[in-house]
Amino acid sequence: MSLSHLPRLVRTASFGLAVLYAAVLAVSVIIIGAIVYWALEISLERQTTERIDADIGLLKEELRAEGDSELIEEVQRRSDVLGLEYLLLDAKGTRIAGTMPVLSPALGWSTVELSTNRSGAGSSRTLHIHSVELDNGMRLSVADDYGSIEDMRRAWIEAAGWCLIAFLLLSVAGGLLLSRRFLRRADTIRITAESIIRGDLESRIPLHGTNDNFDRLSLTLNQMLDRIQALMEGLRYMSNHIAHALRTPLGRLQQKLEAARKTALGNPSYETALENMQQEMEGILSTFSALLRISKIEAGARQSGFSEVDLSALLTTVCDAYSAAAEERGKVIGADIAPSLWTLGDKELLTEAMANLFDNAIKHTPAGAHISVSLYRDRSSIVASIADDGLGVPPETRDLIFERFYRLDRSANTEGTGLGLAFVAAVAGLHGSELSASDNSPGLRIELRFDVAKPPNMLPTALLRAYKADRVRYGHPSPHLEKHPSQRPQRKPVRLPI
Amino acid sequence: MLPTLDGLRIVKTLRSAGVDAPVLFLTALAEIDDRVEGLEGGGDDYLTKPFAFSELMARISVLGRRPRMTTVETILRVADLEMDLIARRVRRGGAIINLQPREFQLLEYLMRNAGRVVTRTMLLEKVWEFHFDPKTKIVESQISRLRAKLAKDSQPELIHTVRGFGYVIKPPS
Repeated sequence: MSLSHLPRLVRTASFGLAVLYAAVLAVSVIIIGAIVYWALEISLERQTTERIDADIGLLKEELRAEGDSELIEEVQRRSDVLGLEYLLLDAKGTRIAGTMPVLSPALGWSTVELSTNRSGAGSSRTLHIHSVELDNGMRLSVADDYGSIEDMRRAWIEAAGWCLIAFLLLSVAGGLLLSRRFLRRADTIRITAESIIRGDLESRIPLHGTNDNFDRLSLTLNQMLDRIQALMEGLRYMSNHIAHALRTPLGRLQQKLEAARKTALGNPSYETALENMQQEMEGILSTFSALLRISKIEAGARQSGFSEVDLSALLTTVCDAYSAAAEERGKVIGADIAPSLWTLGDKELLTEAMANLFDNAIKHTPAGAHISVSLYRDRSSIVASIADDGLGVPPETRDLIFERFYRLDRSANTEGTGLGLAFVAAVAGLHGSELSASDNSPGLRIELRFDVAKPPNMLPTALLRAYKADRVRYGHPSPHLEKHPSQRPQRKPVRLPI
Repeated sequence: MLPTLDGLRIVKTLRSAGVDAPVLFLTALAEIDDRVEGLEGGGDDYLTKPFAFSELMARISVLGRRPRMTTVETILRVADLEMDLIARRVRRGGAIINLQPREFQLLEYLMRNAGRVVTRTMLLEKVWEFHFDPKTKIVESQISRLRAKLAKDSQPELIHTVRGFGYVIKPPS
């Protein structure tokens, strides 16, 4: 199983660390346990040995002081009372006293294993026996049951096992808890980053005020975002300023060229040169004004002009306007436009955006190309699509075509400002609609998806206007108004110097 | 910019005083809302800076010709071309010419301003209500289609191109 199949919580770095830490601790717990166990076993064995030796010493003393009969009696008495096992044999090896279930243990230390059938369970006992020759020729054996050590061993292993399981469970739980905490903080950073990617440059990571590592990281990231935003606004301000400042002198230049052309009448070479210059000038001016308009649209300033727009009629008009031009260039426009699809928007901007898509399809396709236009309702959205069967756009550059001044290498020599699709993207953004380019195999398909259920993020005036329009049309408030403001994407307009 | 008073206020004052002289806004306020406000406020045309002088001249000349509200024309004529605005029918030399609605509108605008140059931009605004400059030459294509329909029997050309300015419909010279 690859890592990506695991739940997200388990895949975090902190969880991995927690598990690793738990594993290291578990190994050390096992090692410590083993050492303690070993030391305990040795000390228990020594205790047994010492106890047996002490007993033998006592009994030897008894024999020396009191004689045979007293010894026999003492052995008998001890067998009944104490936990140790005794055996007293005479010189011929017959049992005189004691209950040890072993008949003839070897002299010195020995360990004998017995199966005790009488206790039923088929358990076995291990006896640790010490046998000595007494002065009177008798043989005394004292034994201790190793079972107590065995019990201790079993209890120890069992306890250690449970401890280990509990320990591992606690470590994993702790790891999960840590991970969740970590994830939650990481998620707030991710959510902020995503909203910035979506275009909300004002978005910042919330701080917890704990001044921990995460807070400090968030603070630094926020400062970085402030800086980037300032730089971006500066850049935008600059480019708008340049476009705006140059427009007036260029306009004057245009009029001077026009005047010069009048005086050049009758001189064909001058006339052509001036006409070409005039056309170039128009191109420059239209680039500048397109640039400024895109900036304005992106700033959301035009939303006040929103009203209900009949997309079907709009697209039909544009389609009709381009049909003659397309035919002249040997291209066929096929339209499949569903009737009466309305959306809230800016009619003029949408018309221009659609026209730009037609310009694009006509300009960048070879003669004989088919351009199919369609408008249809798809669940809660209205989709306008313009597709051609031309050369298409390579997948890696498909998103770039909506950037300002981006042009494919092969169209570097065709005329155009490189702002047409950027304008479409800006208009789509203003309407909160989704613009996408895909493979029409062959060719390019551009889709504009208007979400009818979710109105575009509107300024209050536009909202009010929509409300009034709905009141007139349907006699009830617009559904847009019933949405809580927090459900609409927030967008602060960026102030531009125009 | 005018001091203290803006152009819009002047036009509104003029209109409320019953002055119906044609008014053209020549302004740097290029927003669509500004244009709508200007036209609703009593302006007859709206041209934004930067502008071509020829464009301004063409618009002024068309405004000067604009018929007063009192005269309602029902039939427009240029040479042997006749447009019946009520029956929405076009004939040339008696033969009916079938036009698409948009082609009819285009021809109507040209004929209402017969003898005056109308620019490409004016046609885009008045016929298609496009207040932008399409990168494809849609007016040129539409005009050549219209020309082909008007000269089916190779009659002389009525719609003339004024290079670099626009078009004019007039009887063949």
